[in-house]
Amino acid sequence: MIDLQGYGPRLLEGALVTLEVAVLSLLLALILGLLTASAKLSRHWLFHRIATLYTTLIRGVPDLVLMMLLFFGGQIGVNMFTDWLYYQFDVDIFININEFIAGVVTIGFIFGAYMGETFRGAFLAVDSGQIEAGRAYGMSNRLIFRRIQFPQMMRHALPGLGNNWMVLLKTTALVSVIGLSDMVRIAAEATKATHEPFLFMIPVAVVYLLIASVSEWIVARLQKHYNVGFGEADEWNN
Amino acid sequence: MADTPIPLEVRDITKRFGDTEVLKGLSLTAHKGDVITLIGASGSGKSTFLRCMNLLEQPNEGELIVHGENIAFKTTRRGREPVDWKQVERIRAKLSMVFQSFNLWAHMTLLENVTEAPIHVLGKSKREATEHARQLLDRVGLLDHADYYPAQMSGGQQQRGAIARALAMDPEVMLFDEPTSALDPELVGDVLKVMRDLAEEGRTMIVVTHEMSFARDVSSQVIYLHQGMVEEIGPPKEVLDNPQSDRLKQFLAPKH
Repeated sequence: MIDLQGYGPRLLEGALVTLEVAVLSLLLALILGLLTASAKLSRHWLFHRIATLYTTLIRGVPDLVLMMLLFFGGQIGVNMFTDWLYYQFDVDIFININEFIAGVVTIGFIFGAYMGETFRGAFLAVDSGQIEAGRAYGMSNRLIFRRIQFPQMMRHALPGLGNNWMVLLKTTALVSVIGLSDMVRIAAEATKATHEPFLFMIPVAVVYLLIASVSEWIVARLQKHYNVGFGEADEWNN
Repeated sequence: MADTPIPLEVRDITKRFGDTEVLKGLSLTAHKGDVITLIGASGSGKSTFLRCMNLLEQPNEGELIVHGENIAFKTTRRGREPVDWKQVERIRAKLSMVFQSFNLWAHMTLLENVTEAPIHVLGKSKREATEHARQLLDRVGLLDHADYYPAQMSGGQQQRGAIARALAMDPEVMLFDEPTSALDPELVGDVLKVMRDLAEEGRTMIVVTHEMSFARDVSSQVIYLHQGMVEEIGPPKEVLDNPQSDRLKQFLAPKH
């Protein structure tokens, strides 16, 4: 492995942290996004309100501010709760918000809002006759979602999801602010110690690029999968 | 005969969209083997009436009895709706619908379209469903198209495929919502032929259509709707060949 003045292995660990934060945030964001889209499309006014509040709030506040709010503010909140537990019930516990979880939760929350909008548009793009046919054949809402809406929605959602993912990936660099040793933080430390920014920042850039390229390939594969039945007619006949 | 439940009974259905009353108390009884055609000008409520039968539209009043099972309704803040959606799903599975715009599921092959509901709604095994589906596709002349996607087929092929999908449910009653209206004229014949065959083998069918020759040849009963009411009802010989009202006479007159 490349030594990079001894920082090589740590940088690699950092890259792994970056990837872990990114992938876990993505999972959280996808789940939140689906929930948000369903809430916004539901007829229930309360769900609709909550989802709208969520997307407005998240999309209107800078990511960095949200992250610090959640990390520092979250710790204060948790401390208040554990203090209350202690005085009320004599339960003595200490919960430490760990940077990793705080990072994942914040980024997941932020991108859940964006994913929600992407999913919402994609669901609306599915021809209502497709869903109606499901109903007419005795399918439950859940079955319709799983067998018809979701697979047909995905081809509309994927370009947006892929885009969100790329932005999410780069947003993970923010976790270095709250003290998580991701690739960016380690490279910054190494730069400070050695005064050789290029030696560390270029490999970091390359790793981001690598992850992004692999992602693009995966998205393209998924795109192909969900486009089956919708592409150009001559594409199949050959 | 008296012991077998009637496949479909609809009593005094009304339906309002906002302040407009589109169905004003319609009833219909489909006995086994009946082919009932609903005719009328656009806006007469015939499609809405059909869609009330499998509750794609919720009627504001009236009763629905499918194979002896009465659907229970309750009135909520949002209006009248079924008490138990599971019951609705069970009943819908007995009334398969053929749509004007086919609505085959675009992301599935024709074969998958035909096996989808039998597997996931009726709980049939994949093998059994596939075997049945292939027979049905053969029957509508599309066995060689089993692996095609809907977008790769002509409208007429899609509609025959949709009929195979409907048949795969072994339905009590088949509901046809203007099944040939979206087709090019030269493709209508194939679809009508399949439907005539179904009528001949004793399928219970309710058909919204503009195809008067089909209605004349195949129906046991023709219902002419006007503004959400039954204007004339009876065997095709009476209604189509000897219309009483001026409106129906005009409706049936050659259009040029």
